[in-house]
Amino acid sequence: MRSKPIVMEHFSTVHSSFVVDFVFKNNITVLMGDSGIGKTAAFSFIRECMAVNPQILCLNYLDYQKDIKEIICKVEGKLIVVDNADILLNDDTRKYISLDDKNQYLIIGRNPKNFFTTKENLFELVSEKIGEQTKFKIKEYL
Amino acid sequence: MITIFKDRQDIPKTMEYVELNDLFFNQNTAMMIDGQAEKIIEIIDDAKLISKYKIKSRFNDVAIDIDKLSAGCKTVLNVMYYPDKVFCLKECGNNALEVLYGFEKGNVCSEYALIPFGMVSVMVQGKTDRMVISDYETLKEWWDNEK
Repeated sequence: MRSKPIVMEHFSTVHSSFVVDFVFKNNITVLMGDSGIGKTAAFSFIRECMAVNPQILCLNYLDYQKDIKEIICKVEGKLIVVDNADILLNDDTRKYISLDDKNQYLIIGRNPKNFFTTKENLFELVSEKIGEQTKFKIKEYL
Repeated sequence: MITIFKDRQDIPKTMEYVELNDLFFNQNTAMMIDGQAEKIIEIIDDAKLISKYKIKSRFNDVAIDIDKLSAGCKTVLNVMYYPDKVFCLKECGNNALEVLYGFEKGNVCSEYALIPFGMVSVMVQGKTDRMVISDYETLKEWWDNEK
């Protein structure tokens, strides 16, 4: 599914020696790939920005007991970042996300079911060492 | 070989199902970590176990708490240290699946297929039936078939 990002086309932040530098090409970005490549680390750096950036909303397994669909139904103009998406998002919530035109999504998980995604939505994390720093970027998965 | 369930309803009542591998690891498995985990942590997360609760990060060589392991690596370690429980398989990347499928025992569950290309034999268990599957295509077919 090709649709322009409605909240931001670029997100960047720094956390000590880590740099997150993501360019979004679609409104729904599914971030997949091997275990241990830094997806959750990148999530934690983005989550830190929630303290100062009202456009960011982060959810992960700590929100397991909550009604995720109810949370995202109530917000507008956010980049909603979901880690542990494969256990957190049920079919109903996935369908809602796929049709949501008020928010943008970065979904960290490997199961794109019910997002109605195409290869344009699928990305993987790449890290690059620049001196003492590690830079995280996203690139097309397929 | 590991046993795979594709429906939580098929898991015997005597076996506990764990969906939140992160939490289970942090609260239970972390304190059991020993030399057995060393190689697994290295293969999956490219990190080095430097003490019982510390690993050296792959990114900057900094010593960090073992709770920073990936969810996939934690799942594999949960299965290894608790072979009597059933763990959710969904947060395993292909590198974690490769290791997990090589275990001699352990139990996992996922409603959809998660199979590494280099798989060997696994046990699959439905409500009443139980059988060994040794190839990718047959396992995929079992997983995709109606319950």
